[in-house]
Amino acid sequence: MAAPGAGVRLGGEFMRKVKPIFSSNEAEARQRVISLYKAWYRQIPYIVHEFDIPKSVRQCREKLKEEFVKNKDLKDVRIIDAKVIKGQMDLVETKKMWRQKHHVMNYFQDTRNKQPTDFLSKFYAGRE
Amino acid sequence: MTRCIQCTRCIRFASEVAGVDDLGTTGRGGDMQVGTYVEKMFASELSGNVIDICPVGALTSKPYAFTARPWETRKIESIDVLDAIGSNIVVTTRTGEVMRILPRMNEDINEEWISDKTRFAYDGLKRQRLTFPMVKDADGQLVPCDWEDALLVVSQKVKAAGGKVAAVAGGLCDAEALTAMKDLLNCLGSEAVCTEEIFPCDDMTGTDFRSNYLLNSTIARVEEADQILLVGTNPRFEAPLLNARIRKGWIHNEADVALIGKKVDLTYDYKHLGESGDILKELSVGKHPFWKTLQKATRPVVIVGSGILQRSDGPIILALAQALAEKLRQSSQGCTDVLTTTEIRLWCCTMDAMATVESNWRVLNVLHRVASQVAALDLGYKPGVDVIRKHPPKVLFLLGADENALTKQDIPKDTTVVYIGHHGDKGVEMADIVLPGAAYTEKQGTYVNTEGRAQQTLVAVTPPGMAREDWKIIRALSEIIGLRLPYETLKEVRERMREISPTLTRYGNAEEANYFKQALQLAQSLKGSLAPDSLSPRLLTLKDFYMTDSISRSSRIMARCVQAATQAMQSKY
Amino acid sequence: MSKLIGMDKLRNLLKSIKHAGGLRAAAYRLYRFNDLRWGQYVGEDKYGNKYYENKFFFMGRSRWVEYPPNVGTDYDASMVPAEWYGWLHYKTDNLPTKVPPVKYPWMLEHSPNTSGSNQAYFPYSTTRQKIEPWLPPHLRSQSGQA
Repeated sequence: MAAPGAGVRLGGEFMRKVKPIFSSNEAEARQRVISLYKAWYRQIPYIVHEFDIPKSVRQCREKLKEEFVKNKDLKDVRIIDAKVIKGQMDLVETKKMWRQKHHVMNYFQDTRNKQPTDFLSKFYAGRE
Repeated sequence: MTRCIQCTRCIRFASEVAGVDDLGTTGRGGDMQVGTYVEKMFASELSGNVIDICPVGALTSKPYAFTARPWETRKIESIDVLDAIGSNIVVTTRTGEVMRILPRMNEDINEEWISDKTRFAYDGLKRQRLTFPMVKDADGQLVPCDWEDALLVVSQKVKAAGGKVAAVAGGLCDAEALTAMKDLLNCLGSEAVCTEEIFPCDDMTGTDFRSNYLLNSTIARVEEADQILLVGTNPRFEAPLLNARIRKGWIHNEADVALIGKKVDLTYDYKHLGESGDILKELSVGKHPFWKTLQKATRPVVIVGSGILQRSDGPIILALAQALAEKLRQSSQGCTDVLTTTEIRLWCCTMDAMATVESNWRVLNVLHRVASQVAALDLGYKPGVDVIRKHPPKVLFLLGADENALTKQDIPKDTTVVYIGHHGDKGVEMADIVLPGAAYTEKQGTYVNTEGRAQQTLVAVTPPGMAREDWKIIRALSEIIGLRLPYETLKEVRERMREISPTLTRYGNAEEANYFKQALQLAQSLKGSLAPDSLSPRLLTLKDFYMTDSISRSSRIMARCVQAATQAMQSKY
Repeated sequence: MSKLIGMDKLRNLLKSIKHAGGLRAAAYRLYRFNDLRWGQYVGEDKYGNKYYENKFFFMGRSRWVEYPPNVGTDYDASMVPAEWYGWLHYKTDNLPTKVPPVKYPWMLEHSPNTSGSNQAYFPYSTTRQKIEPWLPPHLRSQSGQA
């Protein structure tokens, strides 16, 4: 086999052979992502109760979905794996109460104002 | 007791560079005093430079004195736009306010001097500023509103106009705003994008050849000229730094200057040929007695002022100047492409009393009076508002147009006038909608000086109140109309400018222009005659110099300078 | 004798009720001023404050002001003008009605403390404006702009 990192032409696209982290294909990665999602989903009522968060369980679950949907366009399996590992670490820290309320509330970013991104909003705001 | 150490730098500057011998010494030894001896004004347009020259601080800037300390100020390098020379300046600011303007060294343009207007008109940037958008309500009164409302009203009027829109650009617009305006209007289907300043532009003469409207022998090389002919211009007040260069050539390089136009004090001796345009005509065919002197010059320079090109016979004057310049250039030029230099010299020795003109020496020069004219002409603006007069629009955009080229009487009653600019001058008085823009210290804009050198100003202070940069206003307007212009950042606008004319983004280089022969061929088929009026420029005395554009007109310091100059004219010294 | 059994206290109570102008009025006065005192009317100032004195009470309580009825319970000690302040606070025995106070041309009209109201002082910048905006003609003040 060619050395890792070397390139190979595969059906017109230039692919690179790399060492996988956990999953070797998209299906495995997808499985990991979904199981992580389920774990978080089930933990949420306990999070809300233990941390005494001023949000309802439904709101937390919506936020969970939002966070996962943010990364829906990722293609590289290793990046997906890395993100799943981070998500799992966050879940463990949350479950074991190594974090505090504000760490969990950080996900919501309530007080942060969205910066204008398109030309017209930036023009009206007078910045950039 | 003053700080003067009698180094006489100011005296020597006044005598050599400024040419106004108002400073001198009285007494001798320990009692020597430097000054004007009597209560007299140092009546020169370059008088502020003695502040930079004085090593001790005996001569200081009165408007700036005790307003700021140097360590608390920020210095931003920029370009001056109050005349067409584009002198390099340093804008000194503190807490978001311009405190003073100092010169920056640029050997090619302004050496190390700046004119008084450049130096002291900065307080006009703080007065009469437009800081919020305004819309005329049902009573006909301009009422402050916010950007969304103002842009909405403009877009409604534009959509209802159906392509009958026009724009007039003033003298202080940057190339980015000019590009955006032209793009927007072209998208709307209109070609009526004009400048206030007229330039001869028919089918025959015109702005198709860059060499027609530039100061082709650059400012630095004017110093090397040996014969200078000024036609209808007073460079002392229209472009003080060019005048300083001519004076430098007159002193060091034995340049001889001749003037056609009203006899004015240029701080150096010159031959006054007359005031009528016929002199130019005679020179261009070689009949005038002065032609012999001109012919002998190895580096002749003909400078035509844009002031006289504003007249109805402007195209003729320019054509005559072109003919004259070409005659001078070709006095031995016929075969320079083919012959070597030795052959040329031999060929010329056989001709009697003919001098060689260097192959890359350009004779024809046009001196503009406003900073945005060259960029506008490069971008394809139509100089002069005749197009608008002939086809009255429904919506008229005034991009900082304050010289009243178009008054309320010239446009139909139902035209909506939108003013985009930074000062409340004459343009705002006829406006229905006012959109506040940024002045030259508040935007990063490209200005092309009269020799074709593109330079950029940098942001020294932010635009006041709700004002925005001009090209951004036009871009936002285009988005609301629905014809979104394809650029969102400055970089993209400059890409667009580069598409139109690469010279606009090659900062610091004076791109040379050619095609003099071809331009002359076109110009010679022009028909018409010279008007009998004298070729006199508009700025004749020092008091006319100080207030020429919207920024200097709102400046208190400039008003006091005008007062002082008027009084100085009546003084018996 | 009446002092022994405390009848003079009752007499004083009846005196003050009578001074107030009846039981109902006395009750309203008690609600407004929190005490019922009888005393000699000494003077009035131009704001309607009435001043009373009664040497029966000890110093500190023998001179008092009754604010006009239009202020209700919303009265404030700073409503007492300068000329009556001295007498009210025992700085002087001169009544402003008997010994008119010194008048200088630079003296301002008395104004009560406006804290808490919408006339309260709010700090404002006294520095000069950095940019003088151009105002359309109908918005220009008397100072006028070119």
